[in-house]
Order: sequence, then structure tokens, then C-alpha cells
Amino acid sequence: MTESNLTLNFGPQHPAAHGVLRLIMEMDGEVVKYLDPHIGLLHRGTEKLAEIKPYNHSIGYMDRMDYVSMMCCEHPYVLAIETLLDITPPKRAQYIRVMFDEITRLMNHLLWLGCHGLDIGAMALFLYCFREREDLYDCYEAVSGARMHATYYRPGGVYRDLPEQMPKYQANQYISEKKVKRLNYNREGSLLDFIEDFTDRFPSLIDEYETLLTDNRIWKQRTVDIGVVSPERAKDLGFTGPMLRGSGVEWDLRRKQPYEVYDELDFLIPIGLNGDCYDRYLVRVEEMRQSNSIIQQCIQWLRDNPGPVIIDDNRYASPKRSDMKHDMESLIYHFKLFTEGYSVPQGEVYSAIEHPKGEFGVFLMSDGANKPYRMKVRPPSFAHLAAIDEMSRGHMLADVVSIIGTLDIVFGEIDR
Amino acid sequence: MNSHSSIDILKTKLSEFNLAFLDNEHNPLLQINQGDLIAVCKILKTDSDLDYSMLIDVCAVDYLTYGEADWKTNDATSSGYSRAVKQTIIPDANETFVERFAVYYQLLSLSYNRRLTLKAFTTEINPPSVPSINKIWNSANWFEREAFDLMGIHFKGHPNLTRILTDYGFIGHPFRKDFPTNGNLEVVYDEEEERVIYQPVSISTRPSVPKVIRDNNDRE
Amino acid sequence: MGLTNKDNEIINQQGPGFVITSVDKLVNWARTGSMWPVTLGLACCGIEMMHSAAARYDTDRFGVFYRPSPRQSDVMIVAGTLVNKMAPALRKVYDQMAEPKWVISMGSCANGGGYYHHSYSVVRGCDQIIPVDIYVPGCPPTAEALINGIIELQKKIKSEESITNE
Repeated sequence: MTESNLTLNFGPQHPAAHGVLRLIMEMDGEVVKYLDPHIGLLHRGTEKLAEIKPYNHSIGYMDRMDYVSMMCCEHPYVLAIETLLDITPPKRAQYIRVMFDEITRLMNHLLWLGCHGLDIGAMALFLYCFREREDLYDCYEAVSGARMHATYYRPGGVYRDLPEQMPKYQANQYISEKKVKRLNYNREGSLLDFIEDFTDRFPSLIDEYETLLTDNRIWKQRTVDIGVVSPERAKDLGFTGPMLRGSGVEWDLRRKQPYEVYDELDFLIPIGLNGDCYDRYLVRVEEMRQSNSIIQQCIQWLRDNPGPVIIDDNRYASPKRSDMKHDMESLIYHFKLFTEGYSVPQGEVYSAIEHPKGEFGVFLMSDGANKPYRMKVRPPSFAHLAAIDEMSRGHMLADVVSIIGTLDIVFGEIDR
Repeated sequence: MNSHSSIDILKTKLSEFNLAFLDNEHNPLLQINQGDLIAVCKILKTDSDLDYSMLIDVCAVDYLTYGEADWKTNDATSSGYSRAVKQTIIPDANETFVERFAVYYQLLSLSYNRRLTLKAFTTEINPPSVPSINKIWNSANWFEREAFDLMGIHFKGHPNLTRILTDYGFIGHPFRKDFPTNGNLEVVYDEEEERVIYQPVSISTRPSVPKVIRDNNDRE
Repeated sequence: MGLTNKDNEIINQQGPGFVITSVDKLVNWARTGSMWPVTLGLACCGIEMMHSAAARYDTDRFGVFYRPSPRQSDVMIVAGTLVNKMAPALRKVYDQMAEPKWVISMGSCANGGGYYHHSYSVVRGCDQIIPVDIYVPGCPPTAEALINGIIELQKKIKSEESITNE
């Protein structure tokens, strides 16, 4: 009697595939022998489209790459343009960017936790995490108008200052005034008050999630010793972010190559010990706590230091609309910026930040024109997914789902 | 992150190779010949004073239209500006200049907290090729596959150089400058054959904002 | 036996009759009260779809409950950019769904190519591949907009004559 391996297609439409992933698996019974990921099912040609549009028009494309952590993807692109233009945004803009980067980190880790839990079977966690995410979406909406794709960062700063009022619930035939008053308790002040209330509540919520999972016997059986990666292999495979820190390597761009105002903030970097799924889970949960404390520090600074949020130089940042209506120079700058866009001097730069998933880098090459000559994005999940074959050999089919969850992949950035 | 000291160390360690330090104030950029690539990378990874333990990115660039603009902005002619409608460029095989494709490698040293960019031009024209550094850093695997898929650069010695991002059976290399943004084929469902078929593309690109190269003379 | 042409004309003039319209209404009420979509979140709109199923904008109160398998679902919500490589898989999932089935195209990428309209690898609208009933605009449409789209689909189903035409 001959035995042969079973080839299974873990198809593009699958609830646990985290997007469009097609895995061709060769199995010996329940054990994985070889995994071949087929990607490109969301390849939209973003980098080619960015070559035909002026610089500011492509900021929206960066949002749509990693669509669970939007502003962190805009950030390296905007930093790269600022490096080539040799401009620095005002300090208040840098603090706002850092605050929104950390809010975005919370959004990413909450979605990761909810979906990882959902795939493994802890379904209640999904609803809890998304409840928190709705509050963070309200922050995005208050500052930019859009719940997801904000296009808020601009070269030179951010689009506009933080609003003094939050959108509120309103009474209607289904909701009474009394209930509305209760729902609006944290929306009476400005956006900073809303975020502060969120950060005050959030540590107890993380405690709730940890109560559900951290000492849970089932969770531990599904994640301990699954997908173990040694530090040397992690470096060789190009891992960055929590994947690298979960294996014990102390590397975080916010500490080692600080950008914006991270060198003025006080926070810790969690490191794992064994390099398995459980350690990466603990690293990301602790990162959520640290992000919470960074946001609180930023709120304190922003309250104490009002000021401009975008540079004064009208060659790159649009003048105020009221000025444009009566001042000739402002009108000319406005016209040139919105028809042609600014021209970036010749040069090439690679700029990277500590994205929630790892190191998200943008390589920007300009030949002096108003459109990029070549824009390449270095997505963290691309290198992580390439290692899935090595991480899953010898594990069982259900462990493949845990490994896909721990890699924290999003196809918008893998396929671009 | 003192780039000057790192450049001095690199000059001493790599003195036997023919290389050029391009003047780049943002990251140190080292241009090498593609024949020396593997030897240089081995030294960069294994030498304890350099210790570039991670390959972060591999990026391929096509220099075909570098510095060309749709509108000439320096002097207006008596006939006025032309309409900015660009035709697809199809280069003549004899005319293709040799230094058309370059590959940029981004390296990172965790222990010394330094970055380095390597640049290597491909020297053969058809197909343009460069040795693969997959054996030195395994992270190069998928990045080189992507560069092959999108730019058509062959990486000699790569274990599995196949298409990764574009469609099954895709013809052409999309990120080359002579490949139209709209592509050549589009997909539609055919009721009679009851399957998805490919047909020539039905829209045309007209750039909404023309490419302009401006020398901002008012920069200090 | 059976209806003659003259009988058919009388029926067409008078309309289907009280019993058949009531059965129609009952069937349509049952269909709209429990529309089960198949999970086809392709890109960013998929995240808004997940948000519409989460705690704040709960779609479960409308009877909308996501099923992983196309065989068990009646609606397909195409959420995200449809790419040439994914198109055959999408058609296959659509063909595997049982009648009656409907399609909601969510977001501008699924409606007509959207932000990526000019790209070489994007299908300019999922209606090139499958027939669509409701288009929900937005980039991404907010979770409320998606719920509005589901309600519009319910209205459309209620106005269909399911039994009469069979």
C-alpha cells in the first residue's frame, strides 16, 4: 500500500486567512510537510500608480496599504518627502504625529488580538476589541473626517489642529435625552479630553483581555511552543517589530533610531524569551500598555503647548484659505500647489518607522519632478509571510492558523 | 549613527574592490559592480566590525525616463506649451543603454546601529541580471522574486525565481517604464463560455497632472 | 387542462390575486429577515464590514450573520478591491451559492475600480464578473452606510415577486 501526501488548498476565500491568502499545503495526514503561499491576490499596482500622481495625491495610497494601521503607513512616506525637501515640521505637529502613531498602534494590536482570538476560538474577544476600536475610529474621524483612511499627515506637519469639540450623540425618537446624556459623558470637552478618558479606562480593559487569555489553559496549549523562531533565524529572515522582539532581540526603531519626538518620551520595550506564539502575544499586549502611557504623555504636552501644526513655508504647505482669498501671493502658491504640486529636488532616501507590525520603510527616488520617480514600500509582513513555510514544518493544520495569526499579516501591504 | 566613521571603516575593509561612495547626506550609499556583489556582501555580514546582520529591502529601479519631463518649464516657446499627452515608450533594442536597471539593497547592523545602502547596476541587457544574495541573507528570497516579477531582473542562483505578485500567466514586467499603467489585458466574465476571460484593455490613460521638473531657484 | 391563452390574459389584467401576493409577502419577509452573507472581505472595506458586525453597529439584529461557506449563504458582500488574479476565485464562490442569491458591491473599488481604476491589475468594478444588486459608495463606506445598503437590499427583495414569476 503506497502512501502519498495530500495537497490541500487553503483558499483565498477563508475566514481565517486574514484577507486573501492562498496556501497550497502538502500534508502527511494532519502534519504539514510543505507550505507554498500564493500572494498577489490583492496586488493593485500602488507603486506604479504613485509614479503618475503628484506627491500629495499618493498619501491616500499609503493609508490603504496596511488598512488596519493607517496613519503609521502615511508616516514614513511623509518623512521621506520631508527629508528630500529638507524641512522639519513644527514641534506640535511632531507630538500630534507621535500621539496618532500610538493610537494607531493600539488599533492594530486590538484588531490583531480580536482576530487571532477569533481564529483560535476565543470569539468573545473579537467583540470587546472592536468596541475599543470604535472609540479610536471616533478620534480619527474628529481630526480628519474619515473613520479609516485619514490622509492626515502632510509633508510639513499635519493637515489641521486638534478640534475643540467632539461629535456627540443626539436624541431622537429611539433614544431619550437621558440616555444621550449618559452616552455623551466623555464627549463634552475637546478631542484631548476624549482621548484622555480613553487612556484612563484602557489599562483595566487590557486587564480584562489578559484575564481571558494569559493564564488560560486552552490558549496556552494552542500557542506555547508553536512557531518557534530563534534570534539568529529571525535576523536572517528579515523579521522586525514584535516578531523580532518576541525572539529576544532588543531592537525597536523608536529607541535605537528615534524619529519625531520619541527621544523625549518615557516608555519601555517588551522582549520575549522563547520566540513562540505565546511570547509574541505577551509582547504585543505589553506594547499596548506602553502605547497607552505614551499617549498620556503626549496629551499632557499638547495641552501645555499650543502652536502651529504645519510649516509656514507656502511652497510646500498650502496657505490658509482666508489668506488665499485676499492675498495675491497666497493665491499663487495655492494655485501652484493644487494644480502642479511642489517639485522635490533630486535624490533618493529610505526612511523607516516602527510600524505596529515591524519596520515599514519607504524608498523614495526623485529626479527633480513633481511626481516620484520610484517609490518602493518595504512592508514588514512581506518578510514575515515568507518565513511561514519554515515556521510551520512539522506542525499540524490547526497550528497553521495560529501561526498565520501570530505573524500579524495584512494583504494590503504584502501585495500593495 | 555617525556616517563618516562608518564610511572610513567600509573603505578600509573593502579596499580591494572597485567601489564608489555616492554623495548622499541621508544614508551612506555605496555603489559596487555586480560581479563583486557576493564577495562584498559576505564581508559586510561576517566581519565583526561591520556586522550587517539584516537585509531589510531589495528595490529595483528602471532609469529609462530619468530626468525627462512632459512640459519644459524653463523657457516658453513662441508656440506655447504642448498638450501633456504621453505615448507609451517602446525602446529600440539597439538603442537601449546598458545602465538601465539598478538594484538597491538596504542593510542594517543591529549591533552597531547603522544602515547602509548598496547599489549595483545590472550589466547584461537581455535579460538584465545580478547574482542572488539569498544564501547570505535569507530575507532576500521573496524580495528578489518580487524584483524579478515587477522589473524582469534575473537573480542568478536564486532557488525559486518565479512570479509572485502578478497574475498567473502574466506577460510583461509591469514596473518597467515602457509598460503602460493601464496594462494590456483586462478580465471579464463571459456568459457563453461560462468562465472568466482576458480581453484587451478598454480604457486609456491620460495623465491628469503632467510631469514637470522645476529647479526651485529660491532655495537657499 | 391548464390555462388557455384567454385565461392568462384575464389573470394578467386582474393581477396575481390575494393568496399569491400574501404568500409572496411571507416569503420575502422570511428572506429579508435572515440574509446570511458569505465572508468575502478582500481589503479595507472588509474591516468596515467587520465593524458593522461588531458591537456598535450590530448587524445581527437585522438577521445578518456571516457564514464562512458559500453553500450556506444567500448574500455576497464584495468588500474591497477585486484584482485580476482573484477574479476566477470570486466567480467560483458566486457560482457555489444557491439560488436565490444577491450581491452587494461595497466600496468604490468594488463599484468601479475606485482609487485603483487606472491600474493594470484591477478589475474595474466587480460587475464585470458577477451581477450586482446594490452598490454602496464610499472609500470605505462607513459601517452605517453598509447597514443602509443592507436595508436597501431588503427593500429591493420585498418589492420582488418571488412566487408569481415562477
